[in-house]
Amino acid sequence: MDIDDILADVDGDSTPQETRDLQALTRAWVAERVSPEILAYPEALLDRTVERIRRQIELVETQTGNMDPRTNFRLVIIQTELERFKFLVRSFLRARIAKGRGMVLLIRAGIHIQIDKHALHILTTPTVRARLSAPELQYLTQHHALQHAHFLASFLQNFPAQLQRLDDTAGGISMIDSPDLDAAVFVRVLRDVEEPLVIAGTNASVVLKRGDVWVVRYSVVSELVAEGHVELI
Amino acid sequence: MALPSPPGLTPLEIAFLCEMEMVTVVPRQRLEGLELLGGPTKPLHPPHRTSLPLWLALLLKRQRRANILPPPWFHPTALTSILDFERSNTDQFTPPPPLPPSPPGTATTSPPFLSSSTADAPDGALPYHWLELGEILLDAAPDDIVDPDAVRRLMRDLREVRMAKMRAGVAVLDGSGMVGLKGVGGMEVSEGRAFISGVVDGLRKIGASREQALREREAEEGDDAYEDIAENAGEMDL
Repeated sequence: MDIDDILADVDGDSTPQETRDLQALTRAWVAERVSPEILAYPEALLDRTVERIRRQIELVETQTGNMDPRTNFRLVIIQTELERFKFLVRSFLRARIAKGRGMVLLIRAGIHIQIDKHALHILTTPTVRARLSAPELQYLTQHHALQHAHFLASFLQNFPAQLQRLDDTAGGISMIDSPDLDAAVFVRVLRDVEEPLVIAGTNASVVLKRGDVWVVRYSVVSELVAEGHVELI
Repeated sequence: MALPSPPGLTPLEIAFLCEMEMVTVVPRQRLEGLELLGGPTKPLHPPHRTSLPLWLALLLKRQRRANILPPPWFHPTALTSILDFERSNTDQFTPPPPLPPSPPGTATTSPPFLSSSTADAPDGALPYHWLELGEILLDAAPDDIVDPDAVRRLMRDLREVRMAKMRAGVAVLDGSGMVGLKGVGGMEVSEGRAFISGVVDGLRKIGASREQALREREAEEGDDAYEDIAENAGEMDL
């Protein structure tokens, strides 16, 4: 449960929990689609949503036999919404997996291989690793193990021993590709932030006012995003 | 299966988001309240107006079960005055609709959940999803709109004026990438994202060594180094 959920519970907002969850899920989806790194997994939110989707599917299944035209139209609406929710959840999870997988480019013409580097970054950085859900972590670990075994069997074994590693950091160049945290992102300010935003090394400084839209480096706002002061758009 | 698309929402995904906006409908048929996944809907009793998410309003409209009441800003007069504002203020977009009061620390809502496109929305401001919403309404409910041809023309003009501003804004981009785009629309962000972030990232890489030098000096000179850095940066720009 993140801070927004807790605060929303405390102030007894009149908005129903379902609507707040839809808003939170939408925000999480957009953020995951645009942020350069993988974000924390909103476990409670996803559990609630998936459970509701399951119940709604059951409702549709039990009522489909009903031939009354009025009920039928209600079912059309419910199913339309169900599909929208399923899309949201699926796209959210897939966007996360895409970051985990990184890019596996096997250009067949020339053997030009960029190996699953993001996965290594995520698996070897404890703070990032903690953001994954259990199934995601399992998927990533196994996918990586399989891929490593495959590469080893198909060509790495023919290399000299010191060139066989996939996570080599020797020679000043790391094989572990980490996401570019300084990439420019579009953000919307949700709450006024008193401290002006300063980027070390440049003389840029801005005051974030609610409702403003800025293009900034992801690294300077990532904490504000996690705290819910700004959102990625 | 991993998502193959690059970072940033696609136009279709923006339209999907836009369909969560609340709009006002005038039902023609009764419909009891529904327990949807995104919260319950109010029962429909003709001819009482109700706010519904756009996707549901479109579904009802298509089956001729309801009419959509376009938001006040989606009227030829309102759009003309917004267009005038856009033309006379070359350095900013039309401000977004005023936000509902939110005491510090509470949960915050943002588009598409702001009800900036219901019949009670203000008429002098363009909401975040103005372009998508306008296009969807023109496409699905032209008979509910006052003078759809004029509206279509004004929308096109608005879009061109605003795109020109986005393009002009490229001149002020630098490696720090601090660009304010208050009032920008969702589809405009999607269009400009690849170019703007590409330019900002490129300039950042070019200026990386200079930035590193400044950062080191900053660390050396301690807390009172701020003014010096501003001066130095000014000189280096020359």
